[in-house]
Amino acid sequence: MNVAIPLKMTQATKWFGNFKAVDKLDFDVPQGSIVGFLGPNGAGKSTSLRMALGVLSPDSGQTELFGEAPNLEMLKRVGFLPEERGLYKKMSPRQIITYFARLKGMSARDAKARADELLESMGLGGFAKSRVTKLSKGMAQKVQILSALAHRPDFLILDEPFSGLDPVNQQALEDLIVEEHKRGATIVFSTHVMEHAERLCEKIVMMARGRKVFDGTLDDAFAALGNSVLIGVSEGYDLGEPMYNAGFVTKRDDTAGDNWRITLSPTQDPQQALRVAIDAGAPITSFQPQESRLRDVFVSLVSAAEAQDLTDTLAADTAKPKEAA
Amino acid sequence: MYSTYLVARRDYLGYVSAWGFWLGLLFTPLILGIFMFAPMLAQNSQPTRYFTVIESGTEFTEALRAEIDKSLASEARTRLDPIAVQQDKDSEALTTFDDAREQGNTALEAFLTAGGEPGTFPKADFVEIPPPASSSSELAPFLTGEAQVETPEGPQALFAAFVVNADTNEIEYWSENLQAQTLIRYANSAEGSLKLDKALAEANVDRALLQEAADERREVKQQRVRAVPEQTNSEVTTADRAPFIVSIMMAFSLWFLIFSVINYLLMGTIEERSNKIFDSLLTSVKLPHLLAGKLIAVLLLALTLMSFWGLFSTVATFFASDRIPPDMAADIGTVFAAAANPALFIPAIISFVLGYLMFGSLFLALGSLCDTIQEAQTLMTPLFVMLMAPLAMLAFAVQDADSALIQIMAWVPVFTPFLLILRIPTEPPIWEVFAQLGLMAVTTVVILYFATRVYRAGAVHGAGVNDVWAFFGKLVPGKKASES
Repeated sequence: MNVAIPLKMTQATKWFGNFKAVDKLDFDVPQGSIVGFLGPNGAGKSTSLRMALGVLSPDSGQTELFGEAPNLEMLKRVGFLPEERGLYKKMSPRQIITYFARLKGMSARDAKARADELLESMGLGGFAKSRVTKLSKGMAQKVQILSALAHRPDFLILDEPFSGLDPVNQQALEDLIVEEHKRGATIVFSTHVMEHAERLCEKIVMMARGRKVFDGTLDDAFAALGNSVLIGVSEGYDLGEPMYNAGFVTKRDDTAGDNWRITLSPTQDPQQALRVAIDAGAPITSFQPQESRLRDVFVSLVSAAEAQDLTDTLAADTAKPKEAA
Repeated sequence: MYSTYLVARRDYLGYVSAWGFWLGLLFTPLILGIFMFAPMLAQNSQPTRYFTVIESGTEFTEALRAEIDKSLASEARTRLDPIAVQQDKDSEALTTFDDAREQGNTALEAFLTAGGEPGTFPKADFVEIPPPASSSSELAPFLTGEAQVETPEGPQALFAAFVVNADTNEIEYWSENLQAQTLIRYANSAEGSLKLDKALAEANVDRALLQEAADERREVKQQRVRAVPEQTNSEVTTADRAPFIVSIMMAFSLWFLIFSVINYLLMGTIEERSNKIFDSLLTSVKLPHLLAGKLIAVLLLALTLMSFWGLFSTVATFFASDRIPPDMAADIGTVFAAAANPALFIPAIISFVLGYLMFGSLFLALGSLCDTIQEAQTLMTPLFVMLMAPLAMLAFAVQDADSALIQIMAWVPVFTPFLLILRIPTEPPIWEVFAQLGLMAVTTVVILYFATRVYRAGAVHGAGVNDVWAFFGKLVPGKKASES
C-alpha cells in the first residue's frame, strides 16, 4: 500500500471569475489523523475539498492524493461526502450504497453484503429496500454517508457532515467517525460547529476569506489565543480602565452585564488579574478562571482575518485614486 | 470501462423500471395503429348526408347519381377483394363485378352479383332526396336547420342543394358547410362527364370508342441498365425498388428512435443535477466514462424498443401470414433481403451510432445546465428544430433522393445520418459516402468534446441556462460581458 500522506495541498489557488475563492492554500493531512477543516460559510472549504479530490482543478499550485495528482485509482481509496447532498430518488438505500461501492471497485456480492451490514448498523435495515423518497431527511443523509464509506476507504473526506442532522444523529455520526478512525482511516471533515472538531480532531485547519488562518493541533490553537478569566463585580463597577492600565485585554461579558472577561496572554496569570481588581477596589462577587474554547479561537482568528481583509480593501481603495492620478 | 458498464446498467435499469417506458413501449404500436386506421374509422363513422337537386329536367341529377355510384363501385370493388385490387389484378369476384357494371348494374347490384354480403356494401356518404322546395330561397330554412326534410333515417336538416339555373346556365351549390368539398367534386365531375357525352353525341362518336382507345394505351415500363450484361431482363422489379424502400424505412426508424429516446438523456441528467449527485459521481468515475455510460444506457433503451417493436411486427405478420398472398410475401422477402445488403446496412449502422451520439451528447449537455424541465425548454426549441428538419428532408428525399437539394443537405453533418442512408440506393460515388461519413465522424467528435465541456461546466461549476445566454451574449460584437 502507498504510504504517502493522504492529502497535500501546495499553494493551491482557485478563482471563480474575478473572485478568488481559495488563496495559496498549503496544508497536509497526516496518515491516520482526524483533521477538522474549519471556517465560516464562504471561507473556501468546499472549494478546497473539491480541489483536493480533483473535481475542480486549481488555477495555480497543486494537490496530491497519496502522493499523486488526484486520479481515479487514488480516488478509489477515498470516500467523499459532498456538501450538496442528494441521492437517486427512485433507488433504494441498498441499491445506492451498492452502486457507489461497486463504482469504487467492490464486487457486487461484497457491495451488497456491506450495504446490508451498514444499513443494519445504522438502524436503517427496515428501509433497505424502500425508495429514497420514503426516507426522512436525516435517514437520507445517513444513507449518503454510508455510501461514502461503504468501500472501506483509507481516506474519508466529509464536507459539512453534521449539517442537517439532529443531536442524536450527530452523536451517531461522531461515533461512526471514531469507528472509521479506529479501523485505520484518515479523516478530514469540514464544519463550522466547533464542538465536533474539539471532540474529534487532532489537527485543525481554519480558513477565512479563502485563506488559511490556522494550521495546527488543538493545543496550538488554544495556545494561540490564551486563556481568560471571568471576574464578577457588583453595582455596575467599571473594571475596564484599571485592567487596561495594567495591560490586560478586557471586555464586559455581554451575557451578564456585571461580569468582565479578561483575556490572558501566555505570560499573564489569572492571579495577576485578580490582584489588579482587588487593588482597584472593585466590589468582586465572583472569580472564574476560563479555559479557551475552540469557538473563541475561531472567532478571534476569523475576526482578525476579516479585519485584515477589510484593511487591505481600504488600503487598495485609498491607493486607487493616487494610481489614477 | 467497468465504471461505464455500471453507469450504463444503473441508468438502463432506472429507465426500464419507470412506468413511462412501458407506456411508450406498449402504446406506441397502438398509437401508430390508431393513426393508420383512424381515417378509415372516421370515414366509416361519418353520417350520411342528404342533398337535393332542383332542375327542370333530370340530366344533371342522373349524371351526379352516376358519379356517386361510381365512387361507391370503386369502394365496393375493394371490399370484394382488397388484395387483388391492391395488386391491380383481376380475381373471379372482381371480374364478375366489372361485367355486371358494364351491363349497366348499379354498384350495389354489381356487388351482390359478385357474391358480396349485403351488410358489407360501403355506406354512401351522400344520398339524394326529392327537393322539399322549388327555389333556393324556399330551401333556406331546410339548409339552416329551421325546417327538416324526410330521410330514410328520419327528419333532419338538408346538407346541401344544387340548383340548376337554366336562365343563367349555372349550377349553384348551397350548403351551410363551407369546408366539405367532396360533393362539389362529384358535381364538377358529373358536369364534365355530361358535357363530354353531349359533345360526343353531337360529333356522332360512341363513348365506347374512348374506352377502347384507353384500353389500347401502351404501358410505360420502367427499365434500368443492368450491371451484368448477361441479365437481359432490364424491367424494374420489386428487387430494384427494395433498397429505396428499405432506406426510407431505415432513415425514418433512425429519426423516430432518436426522437423517442433522446428525452431520456435530458430527463436523466436533469434529475442528477437537481438531486445534486454529480460530485459523488465525479469522484467515482471519470467524466468521459460517465457520459459514455449514460449514452450507452439510452442506446440500449432504443435497441430494446426496436427489438420489442420488431418482434411485435414479426409476430403480427406471422399470424397474418395466411392472409398475405404469395406474391406479396415474396415482395416482403425481397425487401428484407435488401436490408441485409452490407452496402446499405453498414453505412446505416454508422449513421445511426454517430447520429445518436451527436444528438444524444447535445441533450446530455443541455440537461446538465438545467435544474428543471421548464428551464430546459428554453434551450430545447432550437434542438428540436434541428431534429425536425431532417424529417422535412425525408419527405423531399422520398420523391427524389438524388435531387440537388438532398445532395447538398447530405453534407450538413446533423442531417447526414438520415440523408446518407436515403442516398445509398442511388449509388453515389464511394468517395462521397466516405467523405460524408468522415465529416459526420469528425463533427460527432467535436460535438462530444464541447458537450463534455458544457456538461463539466454544469455538473462541476453549477453553470445554468443563463450562463449559456451570457456566453452567446459575449459573442455579439461590441457587447460587453457585463451587459449579458
